[in-house]
Order: sequence, then structure tokens, then C-alpha cells
Amino acid sequence: MALAGASVARADAAQQFVFAGKALPVSHVATVGGKLAISVRDPGLAQLLRAIGASLTWNPGERYVLFTTAEPQIVSFAVGDTRYDIGPRSAQASFAPYEMSGTVYVPFDELLSAFYLASKRDGDAIVIQPQLASFDVRSSGSGSTLVARSGIPLHPRVVADSPSQLVYAFDGVGTTLDRSRAIHAEGIRSITFAQSGTTRAPVTTVTIALAPGTTHGRLETDDRNGFSLAIGGGAASAPEPVAIDTPAPTGAPAETAAPQETPSPAATGAIVTGIDAHAGPNGYSVDIAVTGDASYDWHRLRDSGNRFWIDVHGATLANVIQDLAGSDPVSSVRVKQFDASTVRVALSLNDFKRLDVQPSADGVKISVYTDDAGDDVAVSGGGTLGNAAAVAVVPSPVPSGSDWKFGARSTYVATNPRLIVIDPGHGGSDPGAGRNGLHEANLTLDMAKRLRDILVARGWQVIMTRTTDVDVYKPNDSAPEELQARDDVANNAGARMFISIHVNSWLNAGPNGTTVYYSKPMDVALAKAVDASAAAQLGTRDDGIVKSRLYVTRNSKMPAVLVETAFLSNPDDLAKLTSPDWRQKLALAIADGVKDYAGAPPAPSQSTNQ
Amino acid sequence: MKRTLILVVVLIVVAGGSWWFLSHRNPNTVGDTLDIYYTKAADGTSEVSWPVSMRPMQSGETSAEHLHNSALYAAVQTIAGPPADVQAVRFPTGTRVIGVTVAGTTATVNLSGDVKNQPGGTFGENGEFKSLVFTLTAIPGIDTVAVLIDGQKLDTLPGGHLELDQPFHRGDF
Repeated sequence: MALAGASVARADAAQQFVFAGKALPVSHVATVGGKLAISVRDPGLAQLLRAIGASLTWNPGERYVLFTTAEPQIVSFAVGDTRYDIGPRSAQASFAPYEMSGTVYVPFDELLSAFYLASKRDGDAIVIQPQLASFDVRSSGSGSTLVARSGIPLHPRVVADSPSQLVYAFDGVGTTLDRSRAIHAEGIRSITFAQSGTTRAPVTTVTIALAPGTTHGRLETDDRNGFSLAIGGGAASAPEPVAIDTPAPTGAPAETAAPQETPSPAATGAIVTGIDAHAGPNGYSVDIAVTGDASYDWHRLRDSGNRFWIDVHGATLANVIQDLAGSDPVSSVRVKQFDASTVRVALSLNDFKRLDVQPSADGVKISVYTDDAGDDVAVSGGGTLGNAAAVAVVPSPVPSGSDWKFGARSTYVATNPRLIVIDPGHGGSDPGAGRNGLHEANLTLDMAKRLRDILVARGWQVIMTRTTDVDVYKPNDSAPEELQARDDVANNAGARMFISIHVNSWLNAGPNGTTVYYSKPMDVALAKAVDASAAAQLGTRDDGIVKSRLYVTRNSKMPAVLVETAFLSNPDDLAKLTSPDWRQKLALAIADGVKDYAGAPPAPSQSTNQ
Repeated sequence: MKRTLILVVVLIVVAGGSWWFLSHRNPNTVGDTLDIYYTKAADGTSEVSWPVSMRPMQSGETSAEHLHNSALYAAVQTIAGPPADVQAVRFPTGTRVIGVTVAGTTATVNLSGDVKNQPGGTFGENGEFKSLVFTLTAIPGIDTVAVLIDGQKLDTLPGGHLELDQPFHRGDF
């Protein structure tokens, strides 16, 4: 419907397109009402996208054409729709994208504008000229930040730098910004833009008139096409935008909506800070740690008879483990934020047992007794915690529409309960993460050997998946072969635990600390114990336990953890990793975690291997 | 006789109208905004979402097409990530969404091979894929997310730690 066939005409095939001094092999363009349309499969467009760090997602038959800019920002077109979106902003194109010969043609000028580019005629050629398209001034209490953005990486030349003014020249960049503007921001009096040079080699000059006594400095930015300048000092910390000094060419981005933390349950005072489930001499207990005032009620579910819900009202759930492995007679314990102000603990039992739910010093204590439940035991109740008003809590009727899923209880029994398998991550043809000649594979092997020595001294049997710098399966094997080979060592030996030791890494120095990854419910208790011990002994930041779908922890049959000991990419962590003393501390911390989790190893007579 | 004829005509109109209404109403609950998640670089595991507007279902667009378009849009947004000044766990530079398909309640995201350029360590892999899974499963009608790399189904992320053989669900993280 959007395609007015008569108005679509082939553009002049001899038309030459130029970007950054080079000809683009543009061949699939058309004109619609005098405006250029370009095929999403045009090779010149592909080259342009590569040059500016943008990408395209479109498949034949699809209505949506999605471009990702370097910023990053998504530019979305839809066939037959003149409306298009640039990030959170909608704009109107001069014509709707249309389908022809198995491809989609999109409005070229609008697309260029979204990339902070503009097409300019220069004789017979069309020059695609990067634009200094936005220049934001953000003011904070102590100064201002200037943020400039263009369609290409900005490399400003300093033309003048005096106490009263700063002049930058941006080569290869044109501008559509207002020529001059008075600015009422900290430290800045006015900003003037001027464009000189030629169509093919433009220069944009920005003159910033400064208030007396200001300081300035360039700010680091992850935005490859951006340029940030702090004026007056102290402006680096997320200042509020006060003026977006952009005459909004089509495609200038609006401010992005502030990201929201999720989930965002209503703030209701009490917080469930932890769940601890453990088997005791008289049965099984679940301790729910609650800070603040709350009420609770509990009841047995009618459907199976072996399931209970314990609801803590007026409470929100802190970042706690939500999926705990049970131990007979409890098959699973699940915790979740049921609604904005209710935390629900779902308990699944192997068969119907007597349950008792009572307030405790730290919250609520659930006791599951192992003796057989009679016919007259309580199956519901309630109470209050803290200073919550002691109103009678009536157990709610059994709600319908439950979306709980109860997993099967772990049935793993170690054939060798004295055996711990230690897996030094990577090795051989796979050195793992690296930095300054240090390789993850060597560090993990060193720490694993130290851990082995401590555990053996404490009476455990230990098998290492490797003891030298080798592949466990074979050199240059595939990742699943290699990882399965490591799990096989533990699975075939019927080990009690599997501990994989790794070194973390990231693109910048920010992330740091020790993280204990796990996958299966049965891993949780071991992960918590190792993490607590590491947090207490290592001096690295405690990044906690993190559930993920990692191959080695998921495909090992026994409780398993993958310890990311520290970050090679963080200077403080790197200093620790390079210290033999710290690596010994790491080994000791893991060994102490094992002790907290499993106690002392069983007597050798129980072992099947000796 | 005439009254009966009118009654029959009215019945046919009502039945036809009801059929048209029921068959053309929108059973899809994908809204006008999508929640796009990213993983905070501060800890590598906390998820934060921001809303992006999504075109409402167009006339002529079936609910299946709309669901597909929503999933595609959401995947591209997630790979692009939040604005550059946000400290997020980002997919390796150059990673593109080649395409997305939806079958049943599983969205399959085909990523370009650039995703294999991981910096090493579990931090990145976990944070990247967690955000992708959270984003797509936030779309009503999508429960699990399968991943292809350059169109290939792989057992693990090459050189990495993450298992890719089965579709992810939120509970994996």
C-alpha cells in the first residue's frame, strides 16, 4: 500500500557515492518522490555500516529492518509504515519502506541522519558527510560536562586553549547545529559552531567561551563516536542534563528513559534476608531470617498433601538463594517474592509429615518432624514477627493457579565419599584468559595443587583432572569434549564433590572479586560454604554465589562449584593472583569451605578405593 | 415467512460478525513496550531493565508475526545494550543478531560468530546470556531461548564455560 509503483524509479546508475574519501559501491538505489531509497542488501550500504561500526538485522520476508548504531541505538523501519524509530523516539519518514525484488528499500536520508551522517551533493557525486549532530551541556553543582557525538570517531584538534576560551576543530565533520548559543551552565558562557573546508573535507570548529577561573579536562567515554569534556571540575559524576543544545535534526536521539531496577516490589519494611535449610537430629529445619516487622501464615496444600506454603507478609526478598536442595523428608525448598509484599516459601515433602512453624529470634523457624504425622496435626497457622500489630492472622484459603514446579530430590550417593575431584580450569591447547604473559591455565593449576595438598593433609582423597599443562581430553578438542572429560573424571570415580578452579576476566578493570558459580540445587550448600570462607579470608570483593548454566557444574553428578578466584583484568586482583601467598590463602579458603560443608572426611574404611 | 427470512438473515449476520470478531481479535498480549534487560557490570549478575517502545500490532500482521517481530526487536536491543555510558556486561564488539525464529514458546536467536570473542572468564558469558534470556522471556508467549552461532547449534560457547545445547530458561540463572 505504501509502494506507489509509478513514483519508484531507478536512480542514475552512474551516481557516485563517497564516504571518508572513498567511493562506496552503491548500486541498489531508487528514487521515491525525489528522495533516495536504498536496498538493505546494497553492497555500498554494507560497506558504510562496517565503516561506522553499525550493523543490520533483516531476513527475506521480514517486515522489520533493524539497524544498530555504534552508539548503541536501534533504528527500526517497518515495511509500509512511514513511522520509524530511533531508540526511544519516533519520527516520520518522507516515504514508507517498501519491498521489491525480494529486498526492502528504506529512506536513505532518514537512515543517514540516524547515524549522524548527511548526504551532500558535490558536483556529480553524493558525499556522505559525518555530522557533529549533538552537543549536550550537562550541568552539575560544581561544573559542566560537554558531550559531543558524531557518526564517526571524533578526534578533536585543540586550536586554542586559554583561560577565557577553548577552541576545538573536528576534521572531516560537518554540522547542522545552531551557529551560536549562550549557555547558562557552570563555567561556560557561550558555545559557537562554525563549519569550513569543502564538502568532501569539512572542518567544524567549536569555540567554548569560559567563565574566569574554570578548569577543564577531557573525560574518558566508552562511546567510540563521542567526545566528553569536563569544565570546572567535579562534573564527571553523572550530571543532570540541563540543556540539550541540539536543533534536533531528524534522527537526533532523545534522552533514553532511565533504566529501572527490577524487580521492584513495593517497599514494605521487612526484608527476608536469608533462608537456611538443614537436617537436624529430630528432623529437618528451615530458618527464614526476617528483619523488621511482618506477619506470616502457613498451610498445607490440598492437592498433593505433601506441600506447604509459608507466606511472610509485609516483606520483600533480598538476594537470597531461591532454590534449595532438600534432604529427607524434604525434597525441595523454594523461595520467591510472591507479590509486592509477600515472600513465599514452598516446601515439598516426600510424604506427609508433621510441620511446626514458629517465630524465632531471627524470623520464622519451620520444623519438619520425621515421626509419622497423625490425623489431628495442625496443617495451617500464623503469627507475627517483630513489632507487627498482633492482629489475628487467618490462614488464607488454598489459592489456585499455582505456578510452582517441584523438582525431584537429588538421589546422588557418592560411591567414594572420601574423594574430591579438583579441576584446574583450561590447560594445554586452551590457555584460558591471559594478561601480561600470565595465563589462567597456569594459575589455576598452581592453586589446584595447593588445594590438593591441603585436602590430602586433612584426610581427603583427591583426584586432579590434570596435573600438568595439558588438555584433559585431547589437544585442540572441542569445548564439550574437554569439559565432559573433566566431569567424567568425577562421575566415573563417584566423587563426593567437584571443584573447578578458574580465573575471571573482563574487558575493563572495573569488575573484581571472587565469585562461586553453581548450577544444580545440590550445589548450593557447597557454594555457600566456599563463598563464605573465601569472603572471610581472601581480601577480594565477595561477589557471592551465582547460578549459571555452566557445563562442568551442570554435567557433574555430585555437588559441584566453579570458583572464579579473582579477575586478571583488575589491577588489585591481578596483584593477588601473582602472589604465591595469596594463592595459598585461596587454597586454604576453599579447603575451609569444604570443611564447613562436609565436616571431616569419612574414615578410610568407608572408602571404596583403599 | 417474511419474519422468518429476516430472522435468518439477522442470525447469519450475527454469526458471521461474531466469527469475524473472534478470528480477528488480538489474542496476543505483547504490549507496546518491551522490557530490555542488561546485566550490571558492577556484579555481573544483577539484571536491570529499561522499556523500549514497540510498534503496536499492524493490520494485516498476524499475532504470530507480531510475536516474531517483538522477539527480533528485543534480541537486537539486548545485543546492542543500553546507552554507552551505562556500565553493562556487553556482548563482544561486532556481535549481531542474524535472525530470530519463534516456535511454540521457544525463541531461537541466531548470533554472529563475533560472540565467540569472549574475554575469558565466566563473568562475561553469564552476564551476556542472562540478559538475553531475561529480555526474551519477558515477552508474553516466550518461555525459553535457544541460541545458534552463525546458524549452528553448539553444545557450549566455544572456548567458554556456558552450555548451549538446550534452550535456556530464566531458572538457569
